[in-house]
Amino acid sequence: MSKTAQISERTRRALLLAPALIFLAVFFVMPLVDNSARSFIGEDGSFTLARYTAFLTDSFYLGVILETVVLSAAVTVISVVIAYPVAYVLVRKAGRFSGLIIFLLIAPLLTSIIMRTFGWQVLFARRGLINQWLVTDLGLLDTPLRWLNTPGLAIAALVHVLVPFAVLSIASVLQGVDRRLEEGALVLGASRFRTFFEVTLPLTLDGIGTGAILVFMIANGSFVTLVLLGGGFQTLPLLIYQQFNTTRDFALASTMSTILLVIALACLWLQLRLVRRQGA
Amino acid sequence: MNDTPSNLSLTTIRKRFGDLLAVDNLDLQVEPGSLVSLLGPSGCGKTTTLRMVAGFETPDSGEIRIGNDDVTHLPPNKRGLGMVFQSYSLFPHRTVAENVAFGLRMLGASKQTQLDEVRRMLDMVHLQGREEMFPSQLSGGQQQRVALARALVVNPRVLLLDEPLGALDKALRESMQFEIREMQQRLEITTLLVTHDQEEAMSMSDQIAVMQGGKILQLGAPNHIYDHPETAFVATFLGTSNLFDGDVTPDGMLKTEAGTLTLPTKATPGTRATLSVRPERIVLGEAAGPLSQGLMGRIVAASFRGSYAAYRIALDGTDVELTAYRQADASLGQTSLVLGDRVPVGWPVEHGVVVAPQDTRN
Repeated sequence: MSKTAQISERTRRALLLAPALIFLAVFFVMPLVDNSARSFIGEDGSFTLARYTAFLTDSFYLGVILETVVLSAAVTVISVVIAYPVAYVLVRKAGRFSGLIIFLLIAPLLTSIIMRTFGWQVLFARRGLINQWLVTDLGLLDTPLRWLNTPGLAIAALVHVLVPFAVLSIASVLQGVDRRLEEGALVLGASRFRTFFEVTLPLTLDGIGTGAILVFMIANGSFVTLVLLGGGFQTLPLLIYQQFNTTRDFALASTMSTILLVIALACLWLQLRLVRRQGA
Repeated sequence: MNDTPSNLSLTTIRKRFGDLLAVDNLDLQVEPGSLVSLLGPSGCGKTTTLRMVAGFETPDSGEIRIGNDDVTHLPPNKRGLGMVFQSYSLFPHRTVAENVAFGLRMLGASKQTQLDEVRRMLDMVHLQGREEMFPSQLSGGQQQRVALARALVVNPRVLLLDEPLGALDKALRESMQFEIREMQQRLEITTLLVTHDQEEAMSMSDQIAVMQGGKILQLGAPNHIYDHPETAFVATFLGTSNLFDGDVTPDGMLKTEAGTLTLPTKATPGTRATLSVRPERIVLGEAAGPLSQGLMGRIVAASFRGSYAAYRIALDGTDVELTAYRQADASLGQTSLVLGDRVPVGWPVEHGVVVAPQDTRN
């Protein structure tokens, strides 16, 4: 009796999971495999690593990879630095307003990223809202400032989109930090400042790590923001877009996609390792 | 290093949280080197009082002094305290040695001092050789010892113990009670202990302050409070007690539901009074004859508790039930009592205590 129950339980579980697994397999895994495979198949249909060798020995392409990683890293650092105080206030000080803060954090995520980026354009265009204030309304400047297509604005827009991910990651870990650990440090003579660096910060490294890797991964693959706001960045996603749409070199685009994918997987692996270390 | 212990004094401390008056004009003196317990049910204000001494809460009014210093408005890190929490609160990301050294490091002690002091403290709490372990690798009792070492290493002026043994099992709790008390007396550390466990309070304290509703109901040595509770609440919270509520008759007797009883002390005729009799003072069977004041009862429950037996006795013709303890010692020549037996019930009159009647608010 128990055996039939077990089997039916297992079948039931499989059936419940099936729709999601099939959907993912057809629309996510298969295209990914197909795309990666294309980068390994030469003109004559045989297996080749020639594109990778060519790509990874070309200083231009290496520069693009470096620029992608450096931009993502900068966005990540800024996002985490902004997110930590927000998460701290959310968990420790907001009290009954914490619901409101979470809503404000999540609400932008419900709008399309294109809309949010257009918002930046509207604000910072040559005849946009900010310039209009500065020149016409306040008369602080004679000529409008050029905001669009500056690196700073592109980074600011990326940070704007990604900060909520960092806040939520940090807040969830901060929530679990026992306040009495901090009280223990205070009683033992640590100032509030020191208590933060000796106790609170080390105990929330997990959340910082998770948030940072999440932000880094998304920034690495970000495309829309850089297309619309420019900034003069030449990153991997932009290059992939060009290869697909302009140059129509699908094989090279696939090669670059695969490299981007490998970077993302490396981040995931790093995150799993970090979390496992903390859990031990 | 301060070699002479300081006293801790709280003067008319008041603390309100919204509508709740958590601590109500509380006065308390902890003599240098002595251990005072704040004992009471949850919500009685004992934890708030401790947190105000620690500096985690600021009193609305009143003054807290350690030695000659007014610390009422000092932050916790400027008060020279040691504290042990119920949940130990060891830093999980630091080793045992780093945990113990933490307070010294905050004081700016040299590496060598830290090393020496950590070794000395770990010896004292019998945890030699565990320096490099993490708290999660230790048992509950060992973690509690580390917490104690961490609190004592800075030679605090006042040691605060917040339900320090609440998370331990019974056997360990008892041995830790002795150990902490022995250490506290040897080091002569002024200590404030918060607990809801009457046994813990009685076995560890020089003085117990029984608290209720933000006030200290009674303060005194454990045996004094046990033998001379002033109110019905104290009589039942510290130990078990049989309470007889009644009116004092013109001839100074107490007219209760159980019968008219002789009072051990004089009481004003016409007032309400409560007589408290500890279960171990109650005598059952033959021996009760001369003490019984005419009370007879039937044994409705009996339980064996090892060194003694506990009985519930329903008094004849009333709804009153009493609890009585009897030493399980054959040499006393007592006849064994069986469920359903009818026996005379009594107690030496002088072993009863007149207490303030049960607070009607409860």
